[in-house]
Amino acid sequence: MKLNPAIMGFIKKELTQALRDPRLAALIFLVPIIQLTIFGLAISSEVKNIRLTVVSRPGDYLARRIEERAGASGWFSAVRIDSPAAQDYAALLREKRTEAVVAVPPEGLSRALERGDAKIQLLIDAANASRARQVEAYVKNVIALALADNSQAPPLPPVKLDLRVLYNPSLESAIFLVPGIMAMILCIITVIVTSMAIARERETGTFETLISAPVSTGEILAGKTVPYILLGLAEIPIIIAAAVTLFGVPLRGSLLQLAGAGFIFVSTTVMVGVLISTFAQNQQQAMMGGFIFLFPALLLSGVMFPVENIPEGWRLLAYLNPLMYFAKLLRNIMLKGGDWGVFWTNIGALCAIGATIAAISAARFKARLN
Amino acid sequence: MNFNAARALAIALKEMRHILRDPFTLALGLGLPLLLLLMFGFIIDLNYGDIGLKVQDQDHTRFSREFARTFSSSGYFRLEPFSSEIAPVSWLDSEKASGVLVIKENFGRYIKSGRQGGAQLLLDGADNSKTGVVLSYLAGIMDAANRKFAQTPPRNSPEIRTRFLFNQELNSRWFIVPALATVIIGLLGVLLTAMTVAREWENGSMELLLSTPVSPLEIVAGKLLPYFALSLTGTVTVYIAARLVFGVPFNGSQIVYWTACSVFITAALAQGLLISVVARQQRLAMQLSMISGLLPAFLLSGFIFPVESMPVFFRYFTMILSPRWFMEISRGVFLKGAGFMELIRPLSALLAINAVLITLAVKKFKTDIEP
Repeated sequence: MKLNPAIMGFIKKELTQALRDPRLAALIFLVPIIQLTIFGLAISSEVKNIRLTVVSRPGDYLARRIEERAGASGWFSAVRIDSPAAQDYAALLREKRTEAVVAVPPEGLSRALERGDAKIQLLIDAANASRARQVEAYVKNVIALALADNSQAPPLPPVKLDLRVLYNPSLESAIFLVPGIMAMILCIITVIVTSMAIARERETGTFETLISAPVSTGEILAGKTVPYILLGLAEIPIIIAAAVTLFGVPLRGSLLQLAGAGFIFVSTTVMVGVLISTFAQNQQQAMMGGFIFLFPALLLSGVMFPVENIPEGWRLLAYLNPLMYFAKLLRNIMLKGGDWGVFWTNIGALCAIGATIAAISAARFKARLN
Repeated sequence: MNFNAARALAIALKEMRHILRDPFTLALGLGLPLLLLLMFGFIIDLNYGDIGLKVQDQDHTRFSREFARTFSSSGYFRLEPFSSEIAPVSWLDSEKASGVLVIKENFGRYIKSGRQGGAQLLLDGADNSKTGVVLSYLAGIMDAANRKFAQTPPRNSPEIRTRFLFNQELNSRWFIVPALATVIIGLLGVLLTAMTVAREWENGSMELLLSTPVSPLEIVAGKLLPYFALSLTGTVTVYIAARLVFGVPFNGSQIVYWTACSVFITAALAQGLLISVVARQQRLAMQLSMISGLLPAFLLSGFIFPVESMPVFFRYFTMILSPRWFMEISRGVFLKGAGFMELIRPLSALLAINAVLITLAVKKFKTDIEP
């Protein structure tokens, strides 16, 4: 196959230009790793570090057991016992000094239990509803454990549930999140870099020069997209290496599947970038156009929020989102070893969406050139 | 340096006309708050329900059915039974379920005879969004199941009554919608300001402006005023939507809230200005504001992922980020009715960050324009 020299020239020029600018090179190669690190480490939907206050008469044995049990459970970061002397519990919660308050009867829990009508009040800061629900379950669990310690023979619960989280048995949030975040980062970078690069040419007027040059519009389009597809592809091994070495994310599937999925996805997002640039007059507009695409794309990708939970009508948007398919593919290939049925279904969907976007943006790109 | 309010205002008016003429900036300034409200108000629902759970019942007794029913009657799960020929793991490998419940043989017999009935729950460890949700419901469900099967009610067990303060109905929208103001200011205040001012540097019109008799301080004030207004408009939009559309209560003081808003917006604008002076280029300004403004506002502020759950390093690191403090204030004021005294910590942190950012921005701006 003989490569078109015009396109080759374009590719060489774009790549040299992109890599010569140290800041752009940093954006392409360094920033993804920083982002991966921050998100892989910081974000977690797990409930941890709950601050608990047990309000009780000093010296109450059971209240101290609750405190000890909570401290040993690993869910709580600060557990303290407070005397019931006219504390306004709601104010404690309002000032964020504590997240949950366990208030035992004034005469002490041990004595109240002996008498037989012990009532425990549990106050939880429910500003974050889903966290509050979990805090309630944890605190109740700790109370149950503390009481079980107290009775002679703690009865076993009737159901023994063997809980297994497959592919990520120790529930490391980095393993949960990193493949999805990799897909997000790849999406952001390729869309923004492509659309801004073309918009900059338009802004500085070099695009007009191109039109007057003896190259066809197809060649210009190829020359403007292929370099960014290559850059995007070059990024994949870098973030995968970071994911595997920094976070210990397993790579169980075949590299071939990964490369195939990566190629189709990056081609799609580069074409999205081209499409955005056809609407933009300058870099600022390109960036904003990028946002208008990226915001819904990231939020409806299933990486942070489950797609199944989106109301019926809106779910269609998620099914049109290339990022959703790629995130699913990346998770399946990296963590589950790449099921071929999943691979072909998602690749098929991705191809269909990619081809549609490519057709629309090529048509618009050519229309704007002529 | 002399400061003439009229001249600053003239620049502000000119900048305002620029924004009004540029459909993209205007669309972002007004459309983005609406887009975010639409996404987080209607499309993304944090009150999860209807999670598909595959169930393999190897026991087929009253007990096993009762146990499965505990899952479905919690309201969170939709049960999909399957026969024993299929390997449970295959549902997860092929992405057809987010969880598989297997109820072991002799489940009922064991429970009747006082031993433990066995069951297994397989969850998809590749999908944090769903697995996290399932795990959060699990403790409550198991608690209910064990209570149901317990032969004798446990003696001496206290009655635990839970009160959920500040949000009795556990409506997650109350958590998310008021917090959108933080994200919107993070985007409009930092990013838009940084980009626009960087554009002036990039095409040289800033130098031109500086050579006029207008003082640098007037230029800065004039440039920033419209973005202050734009950010404030976004915040007001969120406020109105939260109160009228989503029925979020506002229990605190209006004065505290809007004062904190102004301080936070000022901090965001100062950050944007600082970025633009450092970057001098739109592309770089955009990257810097994404990394230092938008992403922290979205991901490190506690907007969705609570600061409390972060590793120790990040819990301290987020203290230098103004969005984290404003988030605390806005939730405190809206839901908890926290007053000035109760918010003294986040308010003073916000003021301190604000002072640092303004000092840095003005200093950098001044040294840059001196010949």
